[in-house]
Amino acid sequence: MGKLLFEWDYSSYPGAQKYPHLFKPIQLGNLTIPNRIKYAATEDNLNGRDGFVTDAGVGYLRERAKGVVGGLCVMQGVYMDEKRQGQGYVGQAAAWDDKFIPGLKRLADGIHEQKAIAGCQLMHCGRVGGIETEYCQGPSPVPQRLRIFRPVEVMTKADIKQCLKEHIEATERLLKAGFDYVEISGIVGYLLSNFVSSYANRRTDEYGGDIRGRMRFVVECIQEVKKLCGDVPVGIRLCAEELLDDVGGNTPEESMITYEMAEEAGADVMSVTAGWQESIYPVISRDIPMGNWLHLAERAKQHLKIPVSMAYRLFTPDLPNKAIGEGKLDIWEMCRPMIADPLMPKKVLEGTEDEIRPCVACNVCLARLFRDAPMTCYINPVCAHEWDPKYEIKAAEMEKNIMIVGAGPAGMECAWVAAERGHEVHVYDKRDELGGSIIEASKAPYGDDELYGHITFTKAKAEKAGVEFHLGTEVTPELIEEEMPDTVVLATGPKYVKGTAPGFGRENVVSVLDVLNGKAQVGDNVVVWGNLKPGIGVALFLAKQGKKVTIVGKEKKLGKDINPSFLWRYVGYLRQNKVTAYNDCDIEEITDDGVIVMTYDGYRIPVKADTVISSEREANTILKDVVQENSIELFVIGDALVPRNLSSAVHDGYRIGIRI
Amino acid sequence: MAVDPEKEISSLWKALQGSQGATRRTFYQMREAAIEFAGPDADPFDIGVKAWEIIGKDTGKSYLPRMNLLKGEDGLMMNVARAYQGLAATNGAVVKIEKGEGPNEIFIKWERCPWPTSAKEFGASMKEDLLGCDKYLEAFLDEVNEFLGTNLKIETQKAIPSGDGVCLRRLYKSEDK
Repeated sequence: MGKLLFEWDYSSYPGAQKYPHLFKPIQLGNLTIPNRIKYAATEDNLNGRDGFVTDAGVGYLRERAKGVVGGLCVMQGVYMDEKRQGQGYVGQAAAWDDKFIPGLKRLADGIHEQKAIAGCQLMHCGRVGGIETEYCQGPSPVPQRLRIFRPVEVMTKADIKQCLKEHIEATERLLKAGFDYVEISGIVGYLLSNFVSSYANRRTDEYGGDIRGRMRFVVECIQEVKKLCGDVPVGIRLCAEELLDDVGGNTPEESMITYEMAEEAGADVMSVTAGWQESIYPVISRDIPMGNWLHLAERAKQHLKIPVSMAYRLFTPDLPNKAIGEGKLDIWEMCRPMIADPLMPKKVLEGTEDEIRPCVACNVCLARLFRDAPMTCYINPVCAHEWDPKYEIKAAEMEKNIMIVGAGPAGMECAWVAAERGHEVHVYDKRDELGGSIIEASKAPYGDDELYGHITFTKAKAEKAGVEFHLGTEVTPELIEEEMPDTVVLATGPKYVKGTAPGFGRENVVSVLDVLNGKAQVGDNVVVWGNLKPGIGVALFLAKQGKKVTIVGKEKKLGKDINPSFLWRYVGYLRQNKVTAYNDCDIEEITDDGVIVMTYDGYRIPVKADTVISSEREANTILKDVVQENSIELFVIGDALVPRNLSSAVHDGYRIGIRI
Repeated sequence: MAVDPEKEISSLWKALQGSQGATRRTFYQMREAAIEFAGPDADPFDIGVKAWEIIGKDTGKSYLPRMNLLKGEDGLMMNVARAYQGLAATNGAVVKIEKGEGPNEIFIKWERCPWPTSAKEFGASMKEDLLGCDKYLEAFLDEVNEFLGTNLKIETQKAIPSGDGVCLRRLYKSEDK
């Protein structure tokens, strides 16, 4: 039995009975971790541009530390050089000088306050680094595939030695700051992965050549860091599959050699990953089935004696619990599920899984980082505001009777928050079920069924908070006047509209909701009017059934309401399903044979169609006047205010919920 | 209101030709600007060829996301040839691709190209037009080679500006390092 930093007894918790493998201890080097849960290092851009830790960063990590219930909580990777060549994110934490130690200590202390194991990470970003310089560093001058990254400056042997020295000095500072675990990052295109990869490393000296030569720098890093760490365990993150076959990257066999060499060099735990930022394959978006990458952990286990951890689409506890039980995995890592709900594993332990705010694997968190913006979450309005009292759910100063019109994501989010604050909340919906237009949206293919998870979560929260539901009840002006609530929140969702061009009154023009619900007849040749998410969702839904689909939309860019880190998936599937999109266009006329598309500059294109689907939306303020006439406090949220996306609905709902 | 396809297509075609002409004119206007800035000691020939090199390198960079080795180096060569063909088409040229006798060569034939005519209009020599084009294609290929660690080469065997009627180029895998 190794050193135990904090005593935890999980035996009385329901989660420990249900998922016994997640809540049993494991030893990393000489350190015992009470459970199998790890919050994996995640960049958040919450530090100052000078690399100093901020209140926002401390608040963010402290909450995740609470979530791991005694497990391992790893802070984001630090850059280690004063020239900032290794810095890959504007708000990345630094550790190149002793002046950073007090801030780093705040993070370690924040984790310890929650009785969790404090982990830190060393991360030179290599060919995706140099965010504040004109160049980045790498083993060879391989041009960048993506223009956002800097040109690569080749590292000399002196540069390599200097970089190794910086790893050692940064480790010393992190140990002084009080961290219990040190991790070295060698993944997704960061420096160490560049050295390992046959794609990025074409050196002919001792740091290049075959896989053993390419691993030399990693081995030296592990050995030196390990020497310094003594009893403090050292972990390494390496790709089990780079997914760079198209550009001559490593084979899976070579990757397993790197694992064995890392173990031999002294690594105490291996964090298994897949893919690079430059990979052309999707790895973690919601179109990838959960558990898809578990075979990589299993493969790693066959090659290693040290424990193996992994994240990557393991969003529900059953998957890692089973994998650990079967000997395919040792530690369950999480980034995005705990961005969406920092207390996720704690809720698993406490048996309140239905209250977990589920990540929808949209990757907006990554999209923000690449745009030099602070971390945010599509589905968690509090993410990165944990330090800010304005975002707390506090008891209402005056209890109110609140009528929420609409049980979609905006209304449901607002309902549970307001009810938890002590208000009497009534949610009305003319439908017989909860969810609003998410019911239809979640019928689109490629993982969109996961969008409904938000409704499952809010339903559990709302029921617990005492929200009363009035389903199958359409709110009329009379009902409002009869009930006379203190506050009305209009969360009715958008108004789906038809165009004004000739032919929109024809019978073959149907609504996107009716199509997704199976209520509308749809022919083989379809035109979808609207090039935002609802239009894309229904286009894919029909194209998957073998129909010929054409999208016609007024927006200049397809899917501008979808974040760029996910949009490429939809665009790929549209291409794969042979869906044509006319953007910056409108329907001029619907004829007997189809539609006439009008381009922005006046060209006209006839498109054959037997069905036209309208997916255009506008704000819906139908009850606004009656509320205001009765001097009732009014809030309009979600698509009822401005048609946008699920994220806007959730964020609107929360912000109004804490404000009423 | 019925669509008159002939009218729509002819308008679009005219707009396309207009934009191709504007592209060529813009290149030579920028070349004029560079010559003026460079002063009397600079050789316009060098400036023109350098410009094509820069354009080729940057165009190559923009094509890197579409270049891959999944179908081996033969597949990559066809990838490159098609990229040249597509790029030429956007400028108003007509290009055909033929596989060579061996697996490691592809012939690319410009049956028609408007660039020599534009060069004449702006007073650039045919030598500059030919070497500029060669430089452009080579710089594109250099970028791909550097990215994928390959060693593809292109050589010109016939050229419209030399009076051959067509441009014929051989794209091949070189054994030389």
